[in-house]
Amino acid sequence: MNLVLVGLSHKTAPVNIREKLHFPEPQLPEALELLRTRYDAQEGMILSTCNRVEVLAQTSDSPEGVRQVTDFICNFHKVPYDTLQQFLYDFTQIDVVRHVFRVAASLDSMVLGEPQILGQVKTAFTTAQNAGTIGATLNQLMNRAFFVAKRVRSETTIASSAVSISYAAVELAKKIFNDLKGKTVLILGAGKMSELAAKHLAGAGVSKVLVWNRTYPRAIELAEVFKGEAIQTEDLFRHIERADIIISSTGSPTFILNRADGERMIHLRKNRPVFIIDIAVPRDVDPEINKVSNIFLYDIDDLRNVIDANLRQRQREAQSAEEIVQQEVDLFLEHSRARDATPAIVTLREHWEAIRQDELARSRKRLGPLTTEQEEALENMTQSLVNKMLHHPISELKRLSRHSSNQDDITTIKRIFGLKE
Amino acid sequence: MSTFFLRLTIGLYSIGLLHSFLTIITRKKTLFRVAMAGIGLGFISHGLSILFAWVELAHPPITDNHGALSFFAFGIVLAFLISYARYRLESLSVFVFPLVFILTLAANLISSSQTPLQERLRSLWFYIHIPTLFLGYAAFFVAFSAGIMYLIQERELKRKRPQAFYYRLPSLEICDDLGYRALSVGFPLLTVGIVAGALWANRALSQPWGWDPKIIWSLITWLIYAILIHYRLSSGLRGRRAALMSIIGFVIVLLTFTFFRNQGSAHSFIQQ
Repeated sequence: MNLVLVGLSHKTAPVNIREKLHFPEPQLPEALELLRTRYDAQEGMILSTCNRVEVLAQTSDSPEGVRQVTDFICNFHKVPYDTLQQFLYDFTQIDVVRHVFRVAASLDSMVLGEPQILGQVKTAFTTAQNAGTIGATLNQLMNRAFFVAKRVRSETTIASSAVSISYAAVELAKKIFNDLKGKTVLILGAGKMSELAAKHLAGAGVSKVLVWNRTYPRAIELAEVFKGEAIQTEDLFRHIERADIIISSTGSPTFILNRADGERMIHLRKNRPVFIIDIAVPRDVDPEINKVSNIFLYDIDDLRNVIDANLRQRQREAQSAEEIVQQEVDLFLEHSRARDATPAIVTLREHWEAIRQDELARSRKRLGPLTTEQEEALENMTQSLVNKMLHHPISELKRLSRHSSNQDDITTIKRIFGLKE
Repeated sequence: MSTFFLRLTIGLYSIGLLHSFLTIITRKKTLFRVAMAGIGLGFISHGLSILFAWVELAHPPITDNHGALSFFAFGIVLAFLISYARYRLESLSVFVFPLVFILTLAANLISSSQTPLQERLRSLWFYIHIPTLFLGYAAFFVAFSAGIMYLIQERELKRKRPQAFYYRLPSLEICDDLGYRALSVGFPLLTVGIVAGALWANRALSQPWGWDPKIIWSLITWLIYAILIHYRLSSGLRGRRAALMSIIGFVIVLLTFTFFRNQGSAHSFIQQ
């Protein structure tokens, strides 16, 4: 395993540099082919998104591999190395494994835990597979990376909290109502923002959408988008208690809902809760209404606060995710060393099997014709002799292969048994 | 045998206690599956403990503090397991496991002084009176826990500054629903328990209604829960106020169960 990775990301490079190194999708097969044929890369993969450009390769030597891959990037984009030097990072061996795991698990993303990156990595992998630049090493690495990403998502809550205004509204609604099925949402003011928020709520299962607007025709228009119901301009307060969720974004300069309206609503609704999202500036709903029991009012700043808290929550969860990544890196390394040791074990077995066969042939000559039972006894005896002799060296080889510091011991064992490298 | 199984039970329940502690300290779900297994096995062992004592005494082993605490803990675990099967609420365990552990531990520490009940006190009403009350109390404890979870989550939502509880606790609707369902199981049990007690007293002591503190407080509890359920059905009393009433109701239940235990006349004769 001689893995190298060279690249840059939103953490190291501004967008004007990132866009210079972007690999457009149609050019990827050609680029991969170039990487494999002209540079020292037996296997290769390119991840190019708006936040990062990374080239991953299996090369024959790691320090030289980093130079080769860096050259490839500079030459392909015709950008001199000097201008890139300060923005590029490179990893070799185990650090590549860790980095790839972290990227796939969205621990290196601009918005921690955002889910798109895993899809992008998967696409990059498929593209490289189709271009024929994925071999055993990258195949193992990437499949493990997908597994790690899945583990992080299911064992931590890093990706479960909302980090956009619309999703924050949905998340809060679920903290109040649990299930949005059967719930009614009322849109006050048919604007872009309220439409977007309503779309997310509808996507989360809200059953009925009511639309009210200063001009009735516009209300009808938006109601049609949601197959909902438009409310006549003067009828607002005859319908308002039907709404479990109210999204307000009118252009009104004064409050359109005050505390008394809230109390009346809750009374008519027999205390069933109401969630009011006021995204209008200036605000549509008197903040006093939040003091009414069973009414929960969030304005645009409140939603931003929730998002900030969610991001901090993701930060905390990232620590558990990093622990998972570390476990997986160790495990991956252990397995890859075991794979490295397997050839030695196979050669050792083959070596002794050859000796056994030689000696058997010689004995048969001297003993003359044997009965089947005698033949079997001879076979069993030599076989078990070899097995017993090799048992300890082989288990020792397996044990030693788990740690890289034992590489010298493995070489010694090979030398003792007269095995070639 | 009964003592052996009760000791085994306390060992298994202690895993649940550990889970609650770690979850509160680390603010992360810790050891939940292990704790659930501990509680599940503990429940079986607990059942066996009660069964053996029952066989030994030839009547339900609930006639002294030891038996009462043990049975109460058993009822709470039962109520928890039913709620868990229905709602999958992991946060409920943080409330339930410590109380269950403390009750079982107390039962363990008080050695059983149960002797077969006097002949005149034995009746079907007795067998109904105490177990139904305890199961009712267990249901009220679930309502109490749901009420606390509701108040915490409501505060998080009203303050608009989400902290750990916001993420870990269930939605308001779930808390409210769980609380109400627990009440609608607990209230009939409480009613049956009180009526059975009166009938039993009538038969065994020839006086149906001794006004000892325990009876008075039980009636107050009954009244609180009756009002709560009545207003829920008639005018939709729910949310914060319902949660508060469930909490107050259970606090009175606890007082009835502990402080007023030995003061009265009718309810102290069993130990004598």
